[in-house]
Amino acid sequence: MRAWARYLVCGVAGVALGLGATAYVLRNAALGNNIVIGPWATGRTFGSAAADPYTRAVVALKGLLALPAQEARYYTAARDSAGAPLEGRCRYRITGAALPAAWWSLTAYDPDGYLVPNAAGRYSVAGAAFPDSGKAGWTILLAPTAPPPTETAAWLPSGGIARVELTLRTYLPSDGGSGNPGADILPKITREAC
Amino acid sequence: MARWTGPLVTGALVAVATCYLAIAYTPDLLMGAAVRRVAAGGFNRFTHAPLATAASRQIVRPSPDLAYSACPYDISRGSLLIYAAPVAAPYWSLSIFDSRTNAVFVRNGDEARGKPFAVAVTHSGRSVPPGYQRVEVSGDRGIALVRILVADRTGFPRLDATRRATVCEQR
Repeated sequence: MRAWARYLVCGVAGVALGLGATAYVLRNAALGNNIVIGPWATGRTFGSAAADPYTRAVVALKGLLALPAQEARYYTAARDSAGAPLEGRCRYRITGAALPAAWWSLTAYDPDGYLVPNAAGRYSVAGAAFPDSGKAGWTILLAPTAPPPTETAAWLPSGGIARVELTLRTYLPSDGGSGNPGADILPKITREAC
Repeated sequence: MARWTGPLVTGALVAVATCYLAIAYTPDLLMGAAVRRVAAGGFNRFTHAPLATAASRQIVRPSPDLAYSACPYDISRGSLLIYAAPVAAPYWSLSIFDSRTNAVFVRNGDEARGKPFAVAVTHSGRSVPPGYQRVEVSGDRGIALVRILVADRTGFPRLDATRRATVCEQR
């Protein structure tokens, strides 16, 4: 093989490898991988000119049009508190404390970032679902089927899909978006059954 | 084998450069695609989307608790004028995103204090009408987005009617 052909082959392979690596890295990135708190990942530069190219690319792919930190904070989880992937066929108990924001909600998505289909047509649970917006603590059950009437936790359907991701939105954070709640404040995700 | 050393090193450098460029330009590509998708009904006018469901595909990670109204803009031929009307909701905001996905302007209902406000999305050097707050953006295209918290879905029809008082137009 001539020298120019060797360079051409390796150059084309380099382009393919670079594009493939980019697609792999971005598709497998969590939305907000700058800061990890327990099972939750977040970042402070969403929607801001200060975002680095990698964060900007991940947000464009997984959370385009996200608001900047002073307006809203986004916390995503693809794993439970023990580190295992969230599975739609399993039941998880998600327990949280008062969140320092004017309003919050927890939403379930598929890995492509779309809402999880379910017969109940329920896609999120907001703080308003709990007495005093959950200031005394709250519990959500992420599960494919509705819990029994005796269960006091709010139900968030997981649709039974293979992998589920959660996004916790806190709007108008009390600190103006300058910090993050600690691991003791952000919800704990415990797998109960599969 | 030595004949391949140079080509392999070159290939590795090309791979790294390609990865860097692809990451750098991913936001522009995805924002451009999102603008085109949202602009299916035309540029410089608001489209008021229904509440998101599992069938919604316009944007990724939509909040099912928010009503979205989007004005995809193209200011290559003139500034975009937005008149934002207040909405009786626990939270609402107008945010303006440029072609690089930056949120260059955000104002929420608390900051608006229940009053309407007017914004002109423009480039430097252009004049805007009196009474409009200038918001200069990079690139010609982007999206102005109104988010309204729908605390109770049964109350959505009333909010849906009032949010249509918010308008955008090119001038």
